[in-house]
Amino acid sequence: MDVEADVTVIGSGPAGLTAALHAHESGAKNVLLLEREEELGGILKQCIHNGFGLTQFKKDYTGPEYAERLIEELEKTSVQYFLNTMVLSLSADRVITAVSPEKGLFHIKSKSVVLAMGCRERTRGNIDIPGTRPAGVYTAGVAQRFVNIDGYLPGKEIVILGSGDIGLIMARRLTLEGAQVKGVYEIMDSPGGLKRNIVQCLNDFDIPLYLSHTVTEIRGRERVEGVVVSQVDQKMNPIGGSEQFIACDTLLLSVGLIPENELSKEAGVELTPITKGPVTTETMETSVPGIFSCGNVSTVFDLVDYVAETGVITARNAARFAGGDWKEEGNPVEIVPGENVRMLFPQRYSFKDDLILFVRSAKPIEKPVKIEFPQVGLSLNRLYARPNEMLRFKLSRDRLKGVTGPIDVSIRER
Amino acid sequence: MEVEKKRFTCIICPIGCDIDVELQNGNVVSMKGSRCEKGREFVLQELKEPTRILTTTIPIKGAKWAMLPVRTDKPIPKRLLSKVIEQLAGIELQAPVKMYHVIVKDVAGTDANIVATRNMKRTTTTRRKQPQRDIQ
Repeated sequence: MDVEADVTVIGSGPAGLTAALHAHESGAKNVLLLEREEELGGILKQCIHNGFGLTQFKKDYTGPEYAERLIEELEKTSVQYFLNTMVLSLSADRVITAVSPEKGLFHIKSKSVVLAMGCRERTRGNIDIPGTRPAGVYTAGVAQRFVNIDGYLPGKEIVILGSGDIGLIMARRLTLEGAQVKGVYEIMDSPGGLKRNIVQCLNDFDIPLYLSHTVTEIRGRERVEGVVVSQVDQKMNPIGGSEQFIACDTLLLSVGLIPENELSKEAGVELTPITKGPVTTETMETSVPGIFSCGNVSTVFDLVDYVAETGVITARNAARFAGGDWKEEGNPVEIVPGENVRMLFPQRYSFKDDLILFVRSAKPIEKPVKIEFPQVGLSLNRLYARPNEMLRFKLSRDRLKGVTGPIDVSIRER
Repeated sequence: MEVEKKRFTCIICPIGCDIDVELQNGNVVSMKGSRCEKGREFVLQELKEPTRILTTTIPIKGAKWAMLPVRTDKPIPKRLLSKVIEQLAGIELQAPVKMYHVIVKDVAGTDANIVATRNMKRTTTTRRKQPQRDIQ
């Protein structure tokens, strides 16, 4: 083997940086961090807006500041990192095949592996927008990279489809850079992004938000000349006769993110349709022993603080696994979405650690709610439940000790 | 006396409390919906003078990337956002730059400074090679 490591982390965004740092702090000796780009930080480098680390550091950082803080801490440790390093494959016995300009093709044998590859944006192909195929159709994250790192403005008259946070952030960013954002169109009847972003990114700049609307045609030969938008009914089908042509030179898509799991699949990691990421236990271990996953490769989180928290949990357990301090504590039980639960993470409990559970409601309830765990004999209160804001719960290992069957989770009005 | 009603959505944290305010002669007579003290402070500030943190980028030469991310080191009046952006137009920096290096002091008379939000090393190599043309 070319390289041997105790814990190897794939990806150096917020999840990977945190995992590498905490694997070291948890006592793993030989920690290795792999990054395919030429510097650490992942997507944080292009997220130049503030709002990062509010709960984790009690600071209102921008993405780059947040990354620099983690990188500075990492530089003080013995954690090794390889840049420009693309992982080509991962096997179930934890052999990583990677390639880089310095090392060529090489292999890493690691006692435990942490998947932290993040997620990717859904594109036009994922949502099948009819029309021509001109230049000027970008995902919001690509446009963000153009503007914030490369210094290019993607267009002058812009329509944004989808009200996810990146789309809202880009509406403000492009307006400040002198472009005209003609509107944000959202197919659902409620916004996808956080309320604070509706206020500070759209309302502050008088950018209109059209709910229950979608783009039904893209027009233009060489370059986008405009889009046709239509109102949709309750089943999200376009309503005939509601078509309206909007002249523009650019269409940005902010239509969702998908965990990036090509490597996970190759290693035989079981994925779940609930999150489109690996099935994991509370230790963040996947179905393949010694392979752990954290951050947006597991499920797409709303806040970087949550991403980092999963990185800490993963690191603690990946270090334990690498150190041989790992034995089964009885049969794992499933954690099952019940009434009004669209998503939950993780999906298994293996009695090794406290359970930090993230839950997303299926429909908005703007009233006090209770979250029920009947098999645990537990009901927890929250002030509301919104599909665009994950709920986070901590259930201690002691509390879960006697549980034998699957754990159902339901959200109900109080 | 006429009571004026206003609704604000707090932007201090991701919860986004909807806060209802009743005003009489411009004075707050009631405020409901805020889950914490910061929400109340936010509304009082919005009534007096809405302020925001501004984040943007400035071109930089001699670095790996074309743009350096920057921010105001404190919130500035919302009405001055575009004035600050205008004042930053035309500035070009030279690498290296350290994080929190002050790029513009007291920008547009706001009493806030524009500071770098990351370290940017000096690099001699260009990031991208020119595409090779093998067709004559």
